[in-house]
Amino acid sequence: MAVHTAVRQTSAAAPSDTTRTQPLLSRLGGLWFVLPFVIVYALFMVWPVLTGLWSSFFNTSLAGGDSEFLGLDNYLEMVRDDAVWTSLWHTILFTLLSTPPLVLLGLVMALLAHRARRLGWFLRFAYFAPFVLPVTVVTLIWIWLYQPGFGLINDALTRIGLSEVAWLTDERVAMIAIVLTTTWWTVGFNFLLYLAALQAIPRELYEAASVDGSSSFQQLWHITLPMLRRTTGLIIVLQLIASLKVFDQVYLMTGGGPNFSTRPIIQYIYETGFTSYRIGFASAISYMLFALIVVVSIAQFKLFPAREESAS
Amino acid sequence: MRPTHTPYGLSRRSLLAGTAGIVAGIGLSACTADDLIGNRTRVRYWNLFGGGDGARMTQMTDAFIESRPDIDFRATTLAWGAPYYTKLAMSAAGGRAPELAILHLSRLGGYAPGRLLDPFPLDMLAELGITQDRFLPDIWNRCTVDGELYAIPLDTHPFVLYYNVDICREIGLLDSNDQLIPLSGTDELIEAFVEARRVTGNLGVSLSTGDVSPWRLWWTLYRQLDGELFDESGTELILDEERGLEALEFMRRLSIEEEVAPRGADYQAAVANFSNGQAAFLFNGGWEVTTFQTQQVPFSMTTFPNVFGNTNRTQGDCHCFVLPHQRNRDWDNTRAALEYVAYMLQNSVDWAAGGHVPSYLPVVESPEYLNLTPQSHYRHAAENVQLDPDVWFSGSASDMESQASGAFGAVHAGTNTPQEALDQFRGALQRLLDTPSPV
Amino acid sequence: MTRLRAALGRTTFGGATLSLIGLLLALLWLVPLAWAVDTALKPEAETTVMPVSWIPSEFTLEAFRIILGQGDIIRWLFNSLLVASLVTILTLALTSLAAYGFSRTTFPGRRWLFAAVLAGIMVPPQVLIVPLFDEMRALGLVDTYWGMILPQLVAPAMVFILKKFFDGIPRDYEEAAELDGASRLRIFWSVVLPMSRPILAAVGIFTFISAWNNFLWPFIVITDPEMMTIPVGLYSVQGSFGVRYAQTMAAALIAGLPLVILYAILQRHVIRGVGQAGLKG
Repeated sequence: MAVHTAVRQTSAAAPSDTTRTQPLLSRLGGLWFVLPFVIVYALFMVWPVLTGLWSSFFNTSLAGGDSEFLGLDNYLEMVRDDAVWTSLWHTILFTLLSTPPLVLLGLVMALLAHRARRLGWFLRFAYFAPFVLPVTVVTLIWIWLYQPGFGLINDALTRIGLSEVAWLTDERVAMIAIVLTTTWWTVGFNFLLYLAALQAIPRELYEAASVDGSSSFQQLWHITLPMLRRTTGLIIVLQLIASLKVFDQVYLMTGGGPNFSTRPIIQYIYETGFTSYRIGFASAISYMLFALIVVVSIAQFKLFPAREESAS
Repeated sequence: MRPTHTPYGLSRRSLLAGTAGIVAGIGLSACTADDLIGNRTRVRYWNLFGGGDGARMTQMTDAFIESRPDIDFRATTLAWGAPYYTKLAMSAAGGRAPELAILHLSRLGGYAPGRLLDPFPLDMLAELGITQDRFLPDIWNRCTVDGELYAIPLDTHPFVLYYNVDICREIGLLDSNDQLIPLSGTDELIEAFVEARRVTGNLGVSLSTGDVSPWRLWWTLYRQLDGELFDESGTELILDEERGLEALEFMRRLSIEEEVAPRGADYQAAVANFSNGQAAFLFNGGWEVTTFQTQQVPFSMTTFPNVFGNTNRTQGDCHCFVLPHQRNRDWDNTRAALEYVAYMLQNSVDWAAGGHVPSYLPVVESPEYLNLTPQSHYRHAAENVQLDPDVWFSGSASDMESQASGAFGAVHAGTNTPQEALDQFRGALQRLLDTPSPV
Repeated sequence: MTRLRAALGRTTFGGATLSLIGLLLALLWLVPLAWAVDTALKPEAETTVMPVSWIPSEFTLEAFRIILGQGDIIRWLFNSLLVASLVTILTLALTSLAAYGFSRTTFPGRRWLFAAVLAGIMVPPQVLIVPLFDEMRALGLVDTYWGMILPQLVAPAMVFILKKFFDGIPRDYEEAAELDGASRLRIFWSVVLPMSRPILAAVGIFTFISAWNNFLWPFIVITDPEMMTIPVGLYSVQGSFGVRYAQTMAAALIAGLPLVILYAILQRHVIRGVGQAGLKG
């Protein structure tokens, strides 16, 4: 489309110089554009960030009553509380286990769908459709699939001679079961990102390589993959940050069990704050997690800078 | 060159239509579900009856609704357990709680009576025939905090033994009245389960290793052994190591050594395994009566076996009605809610058909109730039911129960030895004790 | 052989085998949904028979009838639609206005404010559930639609994406309109927005999907079952009693299929949208 090529070729210009000579009031006119968003942002992001920090120094309770100032006691308790660190570990474990398949499978799917003609629509539909489902639907279906005996997966396993697996009730496999479900659910997004990137690789590169006599595999290795490096970086970054925030599917599938073996840190925050009423303590844990995510985000943006690369 | 129209036709008409839509949406969203309803007396009622008794509750509630067209009565069933209690607490904290809710009596202490719960108006209750003398004194006392009444008991529900009549007949465990012969002691029980497994080809006894069932089983066994958890003041842990281990060792024997019970089964699977004949026995609360009757399972029920002595001691709890805290209480709605409570109590023989033992003495002593089978078979267990110890962090679906069930469920699974499980539980209990009470 | 290859698509990576693999993988990927549909259409008693079979004695719509008869799910669909629509419209409005403001206007503190907004991208909403609930409680917004909607309007990433897009639009059109005497708002509305339709569609679609599927925040702020959105209602309310897998699957399908169908129809736009976001990001 014409507009898009125009977008690609012009560079961003500074705001028009004429505005600098205008009187202050009309210069403030720009403020009206950003104000609605900024107000909402201040009220529902900045303010809770501040009050959360504030209540982490008190023993505020959900059940009301007076709150006493505790100084750093909540933070000290958090450091000594094993459950904080084990649940943080579960979140990290989930991240480590889920990121490789989500990235690799997304790439494989994109490679498969990229070249397909008549099948293309069908492949794009099948791979991405799970992503539009709400988490509750996904977990209801997969809990049903994972059942022992009459569950489809265990049935398939026994038919080919393997023994059943207690997917959601055995500590050793529960996290893997959750990772599998998450992969099915969300790989479609990475698939689409890779697909778009693949379609942006100029065909001439491949044609030139074919003329030179290189095989498909060589082309994959020497052209495609390097061209996808930036997208891969982006996907890994997004995937890591999203995984650190995991809560929904774990809570819905195992409730953090069996025997708390899958409980992620966000669930522990939820339980301390709302089930055990300890809002102050839960805020302290939230802040620790927040700081961690900020550190990870900054580190990643330094490692994978989000810049446009020229296609050369 | 100025574009005289947008390429995509953003005409004035569509702009107006869009704005109207937004305004309507904003107007709608400014109200809540309540404001849309109107001016009838309104009662919202929350409960957590998702098992077989849920069907019974719905039936009785529907009958009430039909008989009282002047009340806009809405009953909702939320998922049992911590989600229910957390949601109820959060809604009470938010001030827009439902008029009436169900609470387990064991949770009352930890539910901040006075802040998350409002007291019942005794005069209104008396007008409706709900007075102290119509309930067992122990239970009524536990419903009272600081001289105010915060809960009205509906029923007691002990942990019981379900058995498949056909299979038990086949292995010769029924007496001349077609009832299960009393089994006592660990060996006799295991023997019966092994025989049962021979017939079913899968399990002897079905049980759940998830949710809070492991706690229930363990607490039953531990109390049969006369074990205690806390001292009188509720501040010191006096968990009896030997007895705790003995109870856990029996649970381990069932699942790991004798393999008559599952190693891993969630609640749904536990119920399904009994109803489809994969197991001849089931350890559970008495509320699945309706489920099995509907599925036409040939079953009966009896008190939990005397495994370690003190036959009638089983874990159990009471369901009560409570008034969650509301910022602006409407007394007409409250009165209507109480009328529902009175209705439920007076008709609790129907409720008993769903498996629970009614708390309302006039009903418990009535011939109608005494003729109900198999429900009346275990009614005596209700007299000596073992509620959770009275501390703020205990009670049905509490943190303590999920800590216990996590640790003890792992004994069934084989991933915790009894010693490890008990140590894990002891640690959890101590931590709970050391946490300052948020209520 | 070459004709076959041509029919199956371009063959840079060895077409026929890969197409087959792709097809098999796609079919595998659809199995969970297919099984859910199959289960929902079975009579309840046959859902747990062993060995497992795809063909029951009869197919029936009984499970759907029961679920729809319970009324809750219709109410939740309505709530989801209302909330997701409002979140999408308001987010598009607020973020596009703000992005335009940051891109085209200048006012004291502009850079500082933009940096502050960007910083918000790093704040995960999950970390704020506790103080946000407290705030809603203080404002009396627990169990209200606005309580659900407002926090979801905080979308600094969208402001970033839109600003980048606006930055790249040539100013000629706007300057021409300015010379004609149009106000800034009018320029925004009549000139810039129409040219941004693809990116706005992308932002809109993703905001809608994410608002529709949002579980955690509605789960926290809504306790009244009548106010719940689909994901929360499905989880929190036990409409059926005992072990009822056909009904559970029927409810899941009623909740999930609308968006799947919408995706099938809008596939082209969704894919283009993700591509845009990815390439620009």
